[in-house]
Amino acid sequence: MKHTETVKIKVALLRGVDEVDRLLAAGSGNLELDFTEVNFISVEGLEWLEELQLRAQSQGATVTFINLQPEQYKVFKVAHIDSLLKACGAPMRSGPSC
Amino acid sequence: MTSSTREKEPGLVEQVDHLVRQARLAAAVFTQYSQEQVDNIVKAMALAAIDASPRLAMVACEETRMGVLEDKVLKNLVASEFLYKQIRDKRTVGVIKEFPEDNMMEIAEPIGVILALAPVTNPTSTVIFKSLCAAKTRNSIIFSPHLMAANSSNMAASILYEAALAAGAPKGFITWVEKSARLRRETELMMVHPEVDLIFATGGTQMVKAAYSSGKPALGVGPGNTPVYIHKSASVLSAVMDIIISKTFDNGTECPSEQTLIIDSEVYDEAMAEFQRLGCYLCSADEVNKVADVAIDPKTGSMNYRLVGQSAAAVAEEAGLSVEPATKILLCPLEGDLRYHKLAKEKLMPVMGIVKVDSIEEGINRALDVNYCGGTGHTSGIFATDDKAIERFATNINAGRIIVNCPTSLGGFGGFYNNLDTTFSFGCGTGGGNITTDNVGIKNLINYKRVPRRRNFTLTFQTTKNIYINPGSIEHLRSVKTKSAVVVTSRSAASRGHLSLVLERLPADCNVDVFSQIGVEPDWETIKEGIATMRHSKPDTIIALGGGSVMDAAKIMRLFYDWPDLDLKDISANFLDFRHRLNVFPKDVKTQLVAIPTTSGTGSEVTPFAVYKDNTTKHKVSLVDESLLPAVAILDANLTRSLPPRITADTAVDALTHALEALVSILSTDYTDGLALEAIRLIFEALPAAVADGGNVLWRHKLHNAACLAGMAIGNASVGVNHALAHSLGAAFDVPHGRANGVFLLTTIAYNAGIPTKFIPHSTYPLFVADKKYARAAQFLDLVEDESAGLAHKSVPGLVLALRRAVYDLLRQVDQPLSIEELGIGQDEFHSRLPALVESAYNDMSMRTNPRLPILVEVGELFLHSYQTRQRP
Repeated sequence: MKHTETVKIKVALLRGVDEVDRLLAAGSGNLELDFTEVNFISVEGLEWLEELQLRAQSQGATVTFINLQPEQYKVFKVAHIDSLLKACGAPMRSGPSC
Repeated sequence: MTSSTREKEPGLVEQVDHLVRQARLAAAVFTQYSQEQVDNIVKAMALAAIDASPRLAMVACEETRMGVLEDKVLKNLVASEFLYKQIRDKRTVGVIKEFPEDNMMEIAEPIGVILALAPVTNPTSTVIFKSLCAAKTRNSIIFSPHLMAANSSNMAASILYEAALAAGAPKGFITWVEKSARLRRETELMMVHPEVDLIFATGGTQMVKAAYSSGKPALGVGPGNTPVYIHKSASVLSAVMDIIISKTFDNGTECPSEQTLIIDSEVYDEAMAEFQRLGCYLCSADEVNKVADVAIDPKTGSMNYRLVGQSAAAVAEEAGLSVEPATKILLCPLEGDLRYHKLAKEKLMPVMGIVKVDSIEEGINRALDVNYCGGTGHTSGIFATDDKAIERFATNINAGRIIVNCPTSLGGFGGFYNNLDTTFSFGCGTGGGNITTDNVGIKNLINYKRVPRRRNFTLTFQTTKNIYINPGSIEHLRSVKTKSAVVVTSRSAASRGHLSLVLERLPADCNVDVFSQIGVEPDWETIKEGIATMRHSKPDTIIALGGGSVMDAAKIMRLFYDWPDLDLKDISANFLDFRHRLNVFPKDVKTQLVAIPTTSGTGSEVTPFAVYKDNTTKHKVSLVDESLLPAVAILDANLTRSLPPRITADTAVDALTHALEALVSILSTDYTDGLALEAIRLIFEALPAAVADGGNVLWRHKLHNAACLAGMAIGNASVGVNHALAHSLGAAFDVPHGRANGVFLLTTIAYNAGIPTKFIPHSTYPLFVADKKYARAAQFLDLVEDESAGLAHKSVPGLVLALRRAVYDLLRQVDQPLSIEELGIGQDEFHSRLPALVESAYNDMSMRTNPRLPILVEVGELFLHSYQTRQRP
């Protein structure tokens, strides 16, 4: 079973987080992103999270999201990005989910 | 999107997906923005648009070769400066409106991704307008420009987007379809794209139709054909100038602009002379035909799009007319039947139909002809100072905007000449195939989330103002101020000596009439006779002397005597909730009503209820209103001393039922609970003694008070299922009301104390407590539950059982029947009439305040459970 590392994301997710990119690249295990403190996610942030999922998938690792505030969980809901919703624990669906 | 589309149109689908995905992500991110952030973005966009207005106008004129540069600058400024001023302080994020009186608020939810079409006639101003509206409402917007104006539209979109981005807007919240041969196809694909939430369509009829056909929510606009009426009361010279401003504005490209003028004959010559003086050209009949031939496309029967936004001189030249180059408008008098005239249609160029009329009726009718020739729901105008003429015109014309004493094009925009919302998208309602007649704007780009909090309706307590309560209080009659009185009573009142007690105590100079025709169940005919007596006597006071029937009849008589024009139908409709009833009662009463009860049961002397029998339907009709309350009640127990034991018990059981039902009613309050509990206690204490020793005034007094207290309780909390069953049984088998109540009591207490199959929905009844209320009554009576029942000491079920046993014992003690069988009703007859009994009870208004919502099958079961002779529970 792979080791899971938890990374706390800072207040505003405006772009990619280097520490997360490094950990994933190191291939040390699965990642768990803690959104407790996050109160804003930008378009660039969303794109990075989606791309992160693709990279993790290609490495056979998982990146999951925990402790999302409702305001940011709603951003995922409105964005209709399946992989991000799945990272929050939602079942995988085909097409836009809501 | 199908694979075949991808194969046939490589790259196209991907391009569309890319645009929509950008917009989708931006819409998601936008949901996090605060009002302050949004307002900063909108301000930055408005400033950029104002700054770029001349440049954008120039590009639009060059690209479209349509309209007037100066007017396009003005339109850009209207779309930025004017719109910004209107929306600047509007709340569009979070809680946007509160309704304290309705205990409700509205919260804004963005629409999401908007696909916006931009027309060739307003390629930049529309983009400015829609971009600002989208930003203010936190929506993403994708522009699909008109192919002939794509560069200018997209330039406007780009300028506003850059400004917004610099102010912190989400990346990609404004996007646009680039000019290419595939532009229309890309738009079609986006119209059905699953990630597009709304189509905001401003453009040609075909494009708007396509938007509506996409299956998505769409805000569209309809075609216009604006009739403008110059009424004889108008300030003619001012009207002419306004119309010239409007019709020449951007060479008539504005769809709300004037298409046909209808002018009263009294001011016709003055108007036409002024038009010509100011540079308009009046066409001859022959020239009108020539203009019509070029302005209207013979193939389509609609305006010639080649001449849209061209100058009057250009149109004239096309028609073969020789006019001054600076000619402002070609005025075309339309002869013959307007409905068949080629030019009575929309023509977005400086060509205007003219019709002379001889009356306001003809003026409005001709305006309707134009209005209904392709312009319903859009815009119309009137110049008049006569308010009645304006209102008549506006009432008859079908237009979302009826512009008064203003240019219709600039007036239609809103914010320029009037206080309409600024828009470049004119909703035309169903007349134009649209969902709204609004000047479409930010209010249409928000999902409104209504947050209604529970309404706690005001509860009140009302009863008769003056109540005289001790034995001998009939003496109060001596101090009643009256010069003329009618005593309403029953035939037995004289024989029991009550009538003379009253008559002897009225002032000597008081003229008194007596109406003593009230029977057991007063009907409308009897009540009408009583009213006729009153109209003859003209009393200032009505004295009701008797039991419930007499007092109810007197209440109704007083109401109709005071208000002769009152219609029974207006006050007797059944209702679910008192506060929503359709009945309209008078606000006040004029004649004093004094109630003197001679039985201790109904409590009518203190209730706002009155019941009469409808002889046509054979049903009892209940009237409920505070205007039925007497002003004075005199409770002199001496008047009840001669009541036989049977009637004493019947009426007291009615009072007991009132108290028990008011106690558990959904409208019960602390006020009615206190009254109900004390009424129950007094009845348990006094009834056996009053039945055993009817002449003892002390027990009569206690019973009289109990009935009155219970009356106050039901007067405010109403009754319940027991009364519904009793009303039904009593009417079917002619059972006295109190006795009918008694046979159901043990069943209904058990029923109401059980967990409801259906709870009754009512805002002021938030918790089912009927069982606990019965338990409280048992405790108030100091009842102790029998341990043999196996129930825990002081448990609610144990106390309810104790109450039922106490009721059983009380009714047995005073020889009251406790079941339908004990009334002597045969089983076969009962069963044969059961369906009708159930229906009648089910429809009884008393059900509405019962703590359990009795379902139909339960009503039948309640009857069946109440049939067999009872054993002690």
